[in-house]
Amino acid sequence: MSTKNNNRPSIIHWMLSKIIHKSQLEEFLGDLEEMYEERASNGRAHANLMYLVDACHLMLGFSSIRPFKTQNNTLIMFRSMFKMTWRNALRQKQFTILNVIGLTLGISTCAIIGLYVHDELTYDAFHSNGDRIYRVNQPNIWGDWSSLSSTTGPNVAVALREDAPEFEQVTRLLGLGAQTVTTSLNETHSNAFKETRFYAAEENFFQVFSFDFLVGDPGTVFLEPMNMVVTLETAKRYFGRDIHPEEVLERTVELKDYDGTWKTYTVKGVLADLPTKSHLQFDVLVSLKSQSEMMEAHGWKWIWTAFSTYGLVKEGTNIDHLQEKLQALPPKWAPPTTERIFNQSFEEFTKGYPWKLDLQPLREIYISGSPSVHLFGPTGNPQFVKIFGSIGILVLLLSAINFMNLSTARSANRAKEVGIRKVLGSERKALLYQFVLESVLFVFVSTLLAFTIVHLSLDEFNALADKNISLLPHISNPAFYGIVLVFILLLGIIAGSYPAFYLSAFKPIETLKGKLSTGFNGKGIRNGLVVFQFTISIALIICTFFVQKQLAYTSALDVGFAKNNILQLHNIEQFGFNTEALKTKLESNPAFTKVGKSYGLPPNIWSGDRYKAKGDENVVQLSNVRTEEDYLDLLDLAFIAGRNFDPSRPNDKYKVVINEEAAKTLGWGNRSTFEVDSPVGKILKLASGDEDEFEVIGVVKDFNFTSVKRKISPLVIIHHHNDKVWDYGGGLSFYSMRLNPEAINNSQDLQFLLENLEEELAELDASIPFEYSFLDQEFENTFRSEQRMGTVLNLFAFMAVVIACLGLFGLAAFTAEQRTKELGIRKVLGATVSEIVWVFSSEFTKLILISILLASPLTYYLVDKWLEGFAYRTSIDLWVFGAAAFTALTIAVVTIGYQSVSAANKNPVLSLKDE
Amino acid sequence: MYQIISYNFVYYTLYMKNKGLGEFEELVLLAVCILEDAAYGISVKKEVEKHSGRSILLGAVHITLYRLQDKGFLKSELGGNTEKRGDRRKRLFSITDTGMQQLKAAQEVRQKMWQFIPQLNPEV
Repeated sequence: MSTKNNNRPSIIHWMLSKIIHKSQLEEFLGDLEEMYEERASNGRAHANLMYLVDACHLMLGFSSIRPFKTQNNTLIMFRSMFKMTWRNALRQKQFTILNVIGLTLGISTCAIIGLYVHDELTYDAFHSNGDRIYRVNQPNIWGDWSSLSSTTGPNVAVALREDAPEFEQVTRLLGLGAQTVTTSLNETHSNAFKETRFYAAEENFFQVFSFDFLVGDPGTVFLEPMNMVVTLETAKRYFGRDIHPEEVLERTVELKDYDGTWKTYTVKGVLADLPTKSHLQFDVLVSLKSQSEMMEAHGWKWIWTAFSTYGLVKEGTNIDHLQEKLQALPPKWAPPTTERIFNQSFEEFTKGYPWKLDLQPLREIYISGSPSVHLFGPTGNPQFVKIFGSIGILVLLLSAINFMNLSTARSANRAKEVGIRKVLGSERKALLYQFVLESVLFVFVSTLLAFTIVHLSLDEFNALADKNISLLPHISNPAFYGIVLVFILLLGIIAGSYPAFYLSAFKPIETLKGKLSTGFNGKGIRNGLVVFQFTISIALIICTFFVQKQLAYTSALDVGFAKNNILQLHNIEQFGFNTEALKTKLESNPAFTKVGKSYGLPPNIWSGDRYKAKGDENVVQLSNVRTEEDYLDLLDLAFIAGRNFDPSRPNDKYKVVINEEAAKTLGWGNRSTFEVDSPVGKILKLASGDEDEFEVIGVVKDFNFTSVKRKISPLVIIHHHNDKVWDYGGGLSFYSMRLNPEAINNSQDLQFLLENLEEELAELDASIPFEYSFLDQEFENTFRSEQRMGTVLNLFAFMAVVIACLGLFGLAAFTAEQRTKELGIRKVLGATVSEIVWVFSSEFTKLILISILLASPLTYYLVDKWLEGFAYRTSIDLWVFGAAAFTALTIAVVTIGYQSVSAANKNPVLSLKDE
Repeated sequence: MYQIISYNFVYYTLYMKNKGLGEFEELVLLAVCILEDAAYGISVKKEVEKHSGRSILLGAVHITLYRLQDKGFLKSELGGNTEKRGDRRKRLFSITDTGMQQLKAAQEVRQKMWQFIPQLNPEV
């Protein structure tokens, strides 16, 4: 009945089997088992404990290894060192506890950060050819050319295949936007799914990337059009939770094409759910051949930047040479694009804007931070990794300093021990070993505790940081133990070396005379270390403060329109182009005060084009959005000049409204010049094709239509009925409704309204997924990751402060002990309690003040640097430094307060009598 | 001679020279005799606990059993596996002739000495 054995710690079992001789193992295990069963009836905890005790006893009694009975000198010395460490630890319990807590906190913080950083830095490690895969990036040709874009036009891959034989494979991935998939479960019932992680891949996709196939042949799945590969999770969503991957093969799903027709796709492969640590994240892939019509029509383009191009280079390729060679491709292959679409030669088009191709190694894609956005998956933030990495090291440093400080501080008490040892003939080396071993043991114990804490708190941390980190895979990795061991030795030796050298250098005669215990001089260094600790802690407090301030500032930022109470309906494009009936229906609902349609929603308006002002040959990049007059009213945009579209004037649909920034960009002056020379009536031209003209009828005050992290870009607002623009009628569209606060004033009303809406829309077309959002929440979402990191930062800064305080507390306790007599004499000579408290705490307050002076300029510089990355930055107020200084002082005074008050209240008779 | 683990080198050499019987060893030896064919670690432990009224660690019993075996007072064999023990065998101890002699000798010595305690034997 070996199953019964599950309750007992298997590690004990294992140790017994290693230590006890084979001939006795069986009966001992049997006895232990029997005893356990008997005791278990009186309580399992007791039985477990006794099992452990008995097992240890047997191990000690019968082990073939006998470390403590040996005659080996070194071992005997070690044994004595252990004993000394143990006795010293027990003798000064307060110091021991402070030391262990400080180190444990430091190590666990550092370990969590280490795990986080490791996790962030090891994305995409599972591809077998990973070291040879590169992504081709190009300048962001739709905006800031100096930044990189992760996507390229389809023709780049064609050019690479033709002109760069260094590539073994070149493959493309095409983003298809949101797709509607329906699956039929049976004759009558079908389900509709909206898929946003839905891409088209080329036939050699799985020869480049090694994703794990459960069923299907990676080599052939994408050879045919209308083939589909899904992840297991998606298969379960489509065909039921308990479906087996094999049963999914050859099943079909219907997909709504952009023109509203339904196409049938066949599932040809099922992938295991994707590893979270992959920069490519998808639910469904279809063969790019399914889009052959589109590819034939537009495959020559360099500006259809919906593709990510990946290349697998041949072994031994020199990447620098290859990259250099690739720069010859755009001038050779892109001219048809610039000439046919923009009426410009390649040279004209790229004047001042070099069109370069950049090779980015696969494993750097996630965390490099440039390009800042990936179309096909998550993007890491290298800034977070750097910030957290440095905090981890700082916190560890803080706790190591604590340890050094406390060890040297209490060394006065051990001076006599050192003296006696030296007199009895101990070498300096042996003393060094003793102290270093003590510190290594402390670190060892703390590390064990720290890993327990890390293991227990990782779930919380994961929830906080939205990560999926686990300690378990590391524990099974031998390299991990190596690293931990090296870490323990290194930290132990570093933290222990200063006290070790310091203590072992005591001169026996002086220490025995008692000189060192009264007037000993490690104070300067100790104070220096305290100053260093508090400088770091105060700097962290100030930095966290500013991070929070900046976050609060951006989330409260006036975006230029009334963003609250706006409900947005998605998937409107699937109702067809003419949705007036739907609009009337929505308008008749008393819960809405205004309804408006748009082909894009803030903060996600990313479309744009090249324009120029009539009579000016300067080409400028302007964002654009198609919408109707009601939407502008709904947003409550302020018109600075001109007017909104007017439905009573049929010609208004060919006119445009621009924002202030656009007027500035086009050279039409700013708000103050509008009265003299108004942009209203001026003509805007497309800088491509037939150079269509648009008359400006109004200028609106700038508002945020991308993230509040960015400056407001110039924007052209085009009427959605303008049939002259190339994307007329195409693209995703939305209805936005301003809620009537009187009709909807609690969450139940809202819930009811949403249910109603869903039913109404289902009546029109049940195959269209019901999806909605709130405008203010969408803005919140744009800096969710920053907010999350802000919370994590708070936590770590708090840790740092706690550790620094532990150190200060220990030091204050030590000083109180050292100065007992001095304070006693002061009291006898007439000092009051408050005077003594003052004398005592001013010594530490001075150190804190110095730290504040050091930390302030340092953090000013760092915060200023950090804020440079933001378009809208909070001001660096001096009061924050004041507040942080005050906080730090308060914490410090409270920390040493207990010690100083108890020192001051001591009966001088007792303290002076003590000899 | 069969290979036994050097569980306690000092005791081993010491006791092989003069085969005396310690107080606890005597108790264990007596318990083995009482239990006849069913003497193994736990039963011996219980027997000694029952009669002496003190609580004993299992390890102590095992160490003593093996020491007595080394001295030649006990012999042992494996057998009698039960489900309770995770299907493992017990080591069943039984007393040897030397063991019995030793026990008797010890008892005799005591008996003799008892007789000479005046407080207990007023008639002598």
